[in-house]
Amino acid sequence: MRLRQTGLADIADDPVAFEAFYRRHFEAVTRFLARRVGDPHAVADLTADVFLAVLDSAHTYRPGKGSEIAWLYGVARNTMLAERRRSARESRANSRIAGRRLLESDDVSRLEDRIDAESPARRAMEAMAGLPENDRALLELVAVDGLSPAEAAAALGIRQGTARVRLHRARRALRQIPGVVPPLVMEGHR
Amino acid sequence: MNDTFEDRLLAALKAEMAARPEARPVAAARRMTGRRILTGAAVLGVAATAAVAVPMVIGAQTPAYALTKNADGSINLKINEFRDPDQVEKDLADMGVRADITYLPLGKRCADGRAPFVDGDRTTTTSEELRSKDPAVQEELRKRMEKTVSYKAIRPKNGITIYPRYIRPGQIVMIEVAENPVEPTVDKPGVAWQFSGRLTEGPVKPCQVVDQPGAFEIGDATPPPGS
Repeated sequence: MRLRQTGLADIADDPVAFEAFYRRHFEAVTRFLARRVGDPHAVADLTADVFLAVLDSAHTYRPGKGSEIAWLYGVARNTMLAERRRSARESRANSRIAGRRLLESDDVSRLEDRIDAESPARRAMEAMAGLPENDRALLELVAVDGLSPAEAAAALGIRQGTARVRLHRARRALRQIPGVVPPLVMEGHR
Repeated sequence: MNDTFEDRLLAALKAEMAARPEARPVAAARRMTGRRILTGAAVLGVAATAAVAVPMVIGAQTPAYALTKNADGSINLKINEFRDPDQVEKDLADMGVRADITYLPLGKRCADGRAPFVDGDRTTTTSEELRSKDPAVQEELRKRMEKTVSYKAIRPKNGITIYPRYIRPGQIVMIEVAENPVEPTVDKPGVAWQFSGRLTEGPVKPCQVVDQPGAFEIGDATPPPGS
């Protein structure tokens, strides 16, 4: 099967390649979202939005600039930011696929389990809430989502050197809050 | 099928993909058509291609595909779900058949020139004949196609039937299957899937997906004998 060798750009045109990509990353995407959203229906909506965004922006993936997962987390993060910017009233009307309508009771309980399982990560992110936005985004991707600093830099579209400086700064700021850093790092790397 | 949110979302996304406007592949298709007309009365390789309108029955518990070895040495491939072509290739390899399987959506095909033709597929066919709507000419072309070694080796019979006795050492069975993302029903008949297969000595290049206009036309909707 040779389609896959032609790169990620094809996943927007080629259902076989897209399905492989989707199956590879579906769980990672729902986990990423479950760390940030506490409602299974919202996780379902956002999962649909993230993969729609993947279809729209697959051509922006550059293999040389980081792993698939780093690119995908970048897409997921942008999708969440866009969702937060929209007002509650208009938010769902514009989406092409309403993820929550595809949920059945089994799926809801599965997503609830996932959300529960990610609660330490959510607590860790709460601890980071006081950091400046840019530093926090980077530390989340590294300490909570488990990307390498280089991958996180690629996900955010920043230079690796910049990422190192920000990470250092964020960790130092957090160290001033007693008891936060050790569980944060350990749980982030499960 | 469609057991979980994961499956249902995938189906919705694929439907979304099918509804999207196309960009890049169309240009490639146009280029190929131009070249084919320029070829004129030269010797063309005719792929053993059969458009088969097959109603598909998919049960929740059916495996993605079934490979059966028949008493006459032929191998029967029945595809229930269009996933995991790599595993089909591996299983065929275990049965001694090198294969390159590509799954596509209906209305798409791989661009010409993916792999060289084998000698047994060369027939003298003019571009007028290829374009002709005359049933007599089409019948003649079909007969010519059925005489090719590829057609003998890979037949649209009972799903897809592969006859290893027509495959020479080193040859690869190259199969493209295109699935209609919308499953045809009795009320809304349509082409469920289409396949084309031929032999090649390789190398097989990656599939450059191009449009295949007319793939959704069901003709008189009669499946050919044996399918």
